[in-house]
Amino acid sequence: MAYAEQYSDKQVLIIDDMPDMRSSLRSQIASLAIEKVGVAATVREALDQIRKRKFDIILCDYYLGSGTDGQQFLEYLRTAGIISRATLFIMVTAETGYESVITAAECLPDDYLLKPFTAETLRSRFERLLEKKARLAAIDRLQDQGRWQEIIPACDAIIAAKDKYLIDAMRIKGNALVMTRQFEAAREFYEKALALRPLPWARLGLARAERGLGNSDKAKQVLGQIVAENPNFLSAYDMLGHIHMEEGDAEQALAVLDSACSVSPNSLTRHRAIAAIAEDAADFGRVEKALSVVVQKTRNSPLRSSADYARLGNALTELGDAGRAVEVLGEAKTSFKEPGDARLLAAVEAVAQQKAGNQEAAREALGRALEGGAKGLPEAAALAVAKACLVHGKQDEATDILRDVIQNNPDAAGVHARVHAVMKEHGGEEASQRLIEMSVKEIIQLNNAAVEKARAGAVAEASRMLSEAAARLPNNLQVVANASYCLLVDVFQNGIDAAKLREAQALQQAVVAKNCNYPKLADIADVMGKIQAKYGSGANA
Amino acid sequence: MSFSEIAALTIHDVKNKLAQLAGRAERNGDAETVRSALEAAQTLTQLLTFYKSESGGLRLDIEAHSPADLVGELVRESRGISGLAIEEDCAAAPALAFYDETLVRMALFNALHNALRFGRSRISVGVRGQDGYCVFTVKDDGGGYPDSVLADQGATAPVSRGGTGLGLRLAGRIAERHENAGLRGAVALSNDAGAVFELKLPI
Repeated sequence: MAYAEQYSDKQVLIIDDMPDMRSSLRSQIASLAIEKVGVAATVREALDQIRKRKFDIILCDYYLGSGTDGQQFLEYLRTAGIISRATLFIMVTAETGYESVITAAECLPDDYLLKPFTAETLRSRFERLLEKKARLAAIDRLQDQGRWQEIIPACDAIIAAKDKYLIDAMRIKGNALVMTRQFEAAREFYEKALALRPLPWARLGLARAERGLGNSDKAKQVLGQIVAENPNFLSAYDMLGHIHMEEGDAEQALAVLDSACSVSPNSLTRHRAIAAIAEDAADFGRVEKALSVVVQKTRNSPLRSSADYARLGNALTELGDAGRAVEVLGEAKTSFKEPGDARLLAAVEAVAQQKAGNQEAAREALGRALEGGAKGLPEAAALAVAKACLVHGKQDEATDILRDVIQNNPDAAGVHARVHAVMKEHGGEEASQRLIEMSVKEIIQLNNAAVEKARAGAVAEASRMLSEAAARLPNNLQVVANASYCLLVDVFQNGIDAAKLREAQALQQAVVAKNCNYPKLADIADVMGKIQAKYGSGANA
Repeated sequence: MSFSEIAALTIHDVKNKLAQLAGRAERNGDAETVRSALEAAQTLTQLLTFYKSESGGLRLDIEAHSPADLVGELVRESRGISGLAIEEDCAAAPALAFYDETLVRMALFNALHNALRFGRSRISVGVRGQDGYCVFTVKDDGGGYPDSVLADQGATAPVSRGGTGLGLRLAGRIAERHENAGLRGAVALSNDAGAVFELKLPI
């Protein structure tokens, strides 16, 4: 077999907390003539090695002794982008019930091996998996880069071959159709796949397509079917929870996520999902319960996250236990030094210290939260900083931050609800509703003003207005797309300007990355074509 | 803690110890001990799976797999630990079939190790597509199944024969849990110059 010669130069990492098993695996791998082998006893050691060199294969035992298990580690590595799809991750376990442990479908290991196994079995498995990786290498790279549009024809080529990778290619193609928001095509595709065999991933795909088409009831019905027939397929619970939440039924949403959590009580993802929805539902007791588990499981582990501490600190403050909130945030302060993490935590601390009556510590925390201004903060941090400003009587700063948050997502009901929550003790629903309406109106006025200016012949001024707004509101696709379009019209009318062309194209790319079927993209392509027709090849920035 | 929880943890622990034993034996080139350790671990897995199938906790994880890959892997594993000649016949294998690979592997491992035990000189393992089914076959050249086992196709096979009976009963249960479009899986036992074990799963 061609691959038999190829795997001897592969880099393999063994992760197992038991010394005997490590040396056993090591000698099995050595007997396959693989020499580049790393060995780790803990998650931390494994991370150090993974950061130093690129492994082709990671063999990880499911039980790692301390707080973190192999599945949690895998989810962390994949979601944090520490290993790409090119790295094979194989779970090793003595338990036959491991299938029941496998959590979110997006985060499966490439394979799992039941102990005991022989070196020969390891060899067969390596060959089989490396052959598959080689066949799907080009598609995996495109997936890692999020180039979903190009993935579709690449998958079609494999589907046409009807070999043993048929289903793998179908699964990836369906996802690519959903990612590129071709929901009609996705529905048709998944219905065909389901006619072949009613597999849960195809059902989930169908539910995603139906949801994309606005048919929430149909999506819920399909998801209910998955939960009934494949209760271990946890991605279905997540989506069902989100739909209930969108429909304003927090209680249903939490009930769904609770049942997912009882299927997989060790999954950090599950507890975090519950905490996120419980926070939106202002059910802080539940946030506290879920995140206490996560914080305890990830203490001193590389898998800990500043967001957990921030959310837990906020929940404790809301529950009236500011003292414990300060404690939790104090512990976090020593662990998270990145400026983004530190400012989120400082903002939550500024509120907790204030409520705990520590005026000076509160002011000091607020100072840290505001360091470097509020521009460019991720939504969660921006909301936390705004809340801290309100608690400290800095009304204007808070309003500015919240306005940007709203305008960055002018249609998102979830964001509006979070703004209401931040302002509930500072002006209440009426004030926050006013702020939301004002902010949304401002964006409409900005767009209208730009259109008027352009119609009156002042295209350059219109494009300047819009490009400033786009820089402030990078998630507002309407603003970003209009800015790109207007800059191009400006170039078309007033002559080639390399800087404007570059900016227009960067904005266009930003829209494509978020939604490659965004309607305005057609207009942008149209003007681009006109520019090329008018100025020839000089029109390439 | 219930008895079943304690049993599950204990089985887990024993399998880890068997894995260490198998590892040491493999390093020393002691194929016989490797085989015994693998078989002992498998017996425990079967026991746990049988318990789950009795208590309604046996869930299938059906996915698309290449049956030829599974047969190839089992054959290569067995060649390293047995003196018998093992033939592999996947010429008519479907590229893909839908089944729970862990459970099907367990059923085939058991059939294969029975064949290794009762076969005289050669056994044959294969898979083919036939009438909408994926049919796995394990044949040996031993004395064949006793009439009592053939009579009810292993459903009440005595458990005393070194785990053989348990494996056959379980194979039948695993097979019938595989269903698609009105077709249901089955185990077929027959004698033809030795024992012939067939596991039929709807594709």
